[in-house]
Amino acid sequence: MINIIQKTKYSYAFSLALIGLSVLSLFFWGLKFGIDFTGGTRMEVKFSDSGAPTNQEIGDALKDLNLKSLIVQPTSNNSVILRYASEEDSVNQNVTKNLTEKYPDSKQLSVDFVNSSVSSELKKKSLWAIFFAVVGIMAYIAWAFRKVSRPVESWKYGVGAVIALVHDILITVGVFALLGHFKGIEVGIPFIAALLTILGFSVHDTIVVYDRTRENLMRISSKEQFPDIVNRSLNETLVRSINTSLTVLLTLLAIYIFGGESIKDFSLALLIGVFFGTYSSIFIASALLVTSYKMQLAKK
Amino acid sequence: MTSRQKLLYKFASVIILALAVGLISYPKAVKFWPAAYEKLNKLKINLGLDLQGGIHLEYKADTSQIESFKVDEAMQALQDVIERRVNAFGVSEPVIYTTKTGSERRLVVELAGVRDINQAKSIIKETPFLEFKEEGAPDESQKIPEDVLQQLNAQAKQKAEGILKKALAGDDFAALAKENSEDPGSKDNGGDLDFVKKGDFVPEFDKVLFDPSFKDGAVWPQLVESQFGWHIIKKIEQRPASTSGDAASTQGEGEGDNLEVHSAHILFSKKVNPAPKANWISTGLSGKNLTNSTADFQNQGLTEPVVSIQFDADGTKLFADLTKKNLSKQIAIFLDGQMISAPTVQAEITDGKAIISGSFTVESAKDLARRLNEGALPVPINDPIRQESVESSLGQLSLEKSLKAGMIGFIIVVIFMIIYYRFLGVVASLALLIYSGLMISVFKLSALSPWQITLTLPGIAGFILSIGMAVDANILIFERTKEEIRRGRNILGALDEGFKRAWTSIRDGNVSSIITAVILIEMGTGFVKGFAITLVVGVLLSMFTAVTITRTLLKVFMGEWIEDKLYLIGVKSQKN
Repeated sequence: MINIIQKTKYSYAFSLALIGLSVLSLFFWGLKFGIDFTGGTRMEVKFSDSGAPTNQEIGDALKDLNLKSLIVQPTSNNSVILRYASEEDSVNQNVTKNLTEKYPDSKQLSVDFVNSSVSSELKKKSLWAIFFAVVGIMAYIAWAFRKVSRPVESWKYGVGAVIALVHDILITVGVFALLGHFKGIEVGIPFIAALLTILGFSVHDTIVVYDRTRENLMRISSKEQFPDIVNRSLNETLVRSINTSLTVLLTLLAIYIFGGESIKDFSLALLIGVFFGTYSSIFIASALLVTSYKMQLAKK
Repeated sequence: MTSRQKLLYKFASVIILALAVGLISYPKAVKFWPAAYEKLNKLKINLGLDLQGGIHLEYKADTSQIESFKVDEAMQALQDVIERRVNAFGVSEPVIYTTKTGSERRLVVELAGVRDINQAKSIIKETPFLEFKEEGAPDESQKIPEDVLQQLNAQAKQKAEGILKKALAGDDFAALAKENSEDPGSKDNGGDLDFVKKGDFVPEFDKVLFDPSFKDGAVWPQLVESQFGWHIIKKIEQRPASTSGDAASTQGEGEGDNLEVHSAHILFSKKVNPAPKANWISTGLSGKNLTNSTADFQNQGLTEPVVSIQFDADGTKLFADLTKKNLSKQIAIFLDGQMISAPTVQAEITDGKAIISGSFTVESAKDLARRLNEGALPVPINDPIRQESVESSLGQLSLEKSLKAGMIGFIIVVIFMIIYYRFLGVVASLALLIYSGLMISVFKLSALSPWQITLTLPGIAGFILSIGMAVDANILIFERTKEEIRRGRNILGALDEGFKRAWTSIRDGNVSSIITAVILIEMGTGFVKGFAITLVVGVLLSMFTAVTITRTLLKVFMGEWIEDKLYLIGVKSQKN
């Protein structure tokens, strides 16, 4: 049996450091929001097989339109992604006109346009979705741990699960703040979907471990101390936790590598979230129970 | 029923289910049986716009001028108009619906496979939709000159006379018909026309057929000319009409009226220029020239609902000119590109009043009048406030790539499971295969129900992710079972205990996934919805497969025999 609980201080230190870094990068750089939340246009244009024009050339072709915050980003297959602020659809039509005039062979692979009224609505909707998800999950946790258990009160399990969850979400968001700053990866509606999925997954993982702890507590042999029971439960579920996450991570990796550009960032967010979700359910969630138990003892 | 029998029944149902979902997911397996293959192959997964290419447009509807209790009705009318326009454009299965966000109303138009985005947009927003057209010169581009026509027909007649001679000389009529007749309906069965009553054919033909001097088995000695061309006619036999069972035919009194004649013919068709198609041309008079329209009844409250319209000054003048020019000719009224009526002008109309009749009901007349009054659309819309468009080649690429990712993900999971759980892993992989088939079948079959599920790119991602999660239930069960074996239980006891104890964890764990997925569905935007729906369906189905299919398979395949081969399920033998 591995004594995970004894090493708690290391995992606490590691997690606190990661959370600290996440908060810092959020504070300094923030997330780079995509058009879902800022409004504007994202257009992918494919040029003829002889190669895409340079960013400068494309910029010149669109110069007379005075596009605000135009970003041209080359991708694979002679394609570029254009991003610019736009409020009216007519702007997009003009961009199309200029491009087809100068590059008759070019083809618009995709055009996503969000006007500011829609983006502010999406922002609101996302916040509500996160709010409802958190409330829903909390209610569920309260229900799942409704039976009073000793020596640690049941609500503390709930708090432990929520802390683990916040931990997973914060680190994922932090990583994306980092990626946004250095790699220009944007955060849109798919990212919100990924976060909520991580929310569900993280709780799922934590619940399985907690369930085992409670089960073992019920048939307790009085000699075994609470920290030992927690540690034993962790060990009993360790293989399951790792194997489950491994299969999910493997499938996510397949999507990330082979699934194409459009869902790459989405699967990356899930990869990070699921990885830390597993980590926290093994090294943080149960450790929190033991810590609170020890604090209880110290008070007495 | 013993428990063994019960188990066998369950096993049989699993096999049947597996075969059914297998066939639905992969119809090519029965390609050797075309009837079944065709039926199965008709079931298709409804692909989202991101996978097949297409355009999603969202418009804000300006409902500020509409009384609040009429907004729903007006939005419905807007949806109808746009539907008509898009259908005229020839898009297959457009999806058009209205949404409500707070107090804001929106119109969403989804067009699959549209290439020209700007054309699609202009068709949606086009304004002039009521149009008055006059008859133009007929379209004569297909016309053959008269002299050429005469020459062709002379040749046909000459040929006919030649064949008539042969027929009269006793050559086989059926063979001649087969070779020469230009009547596609009778040519291949020797010109046979079966029994007919008097009056069934064109008069020229009829007259000959029922001529008392025409004997059974004879060929009429002259060519018979009709609007179709020249006929060589052979009378085969006749019989009293009453045998046909048609009571009405006995009422006739004339000589041939109660007879039926069986005949055959050879046709040499006559070339004629087709009747010129009405060619409506625009007159410049349109819905823009209206000042007022009201629903009305023609003839003072009598039966027919109509829409009476009043033109503005320009319109009145145009309409006066138009009616003067087209006196006793037709003027057609087109609504959204479809002709609704084409009244004949009786007199010049100078007061700018007109009536649109057509097959209106009171409701539709009122509706049209209202729409004409309100302008182009029942509810005005501006430029789209949101657009998502995907070129079809990109959609195709996404589909291929994501399917590949799915296959690879599936294979990796299977390899992992078999390496780690050996025999149990094989069973889990079988269950996983059935699970995937089940998912595909649900997607395909949902198209037959009102709750069609659309597969989008994030949906495929959700599906792939659910494969990983589906395994979770199995892993929980296996780990528990192995634990029970290590504690000294026998295989079957351990299996039962494993299922029982793992179930609460499986259920509790999946509830949290479902909670978040349901919230995502409520969020309602395309990307999120596609992902969340597959995730919910996937979680539910994976729970189902874990507790029914995996369990049944394991119970059937596992038994005492495995007690001394525990390495097969990844448990170290503890007997020594």
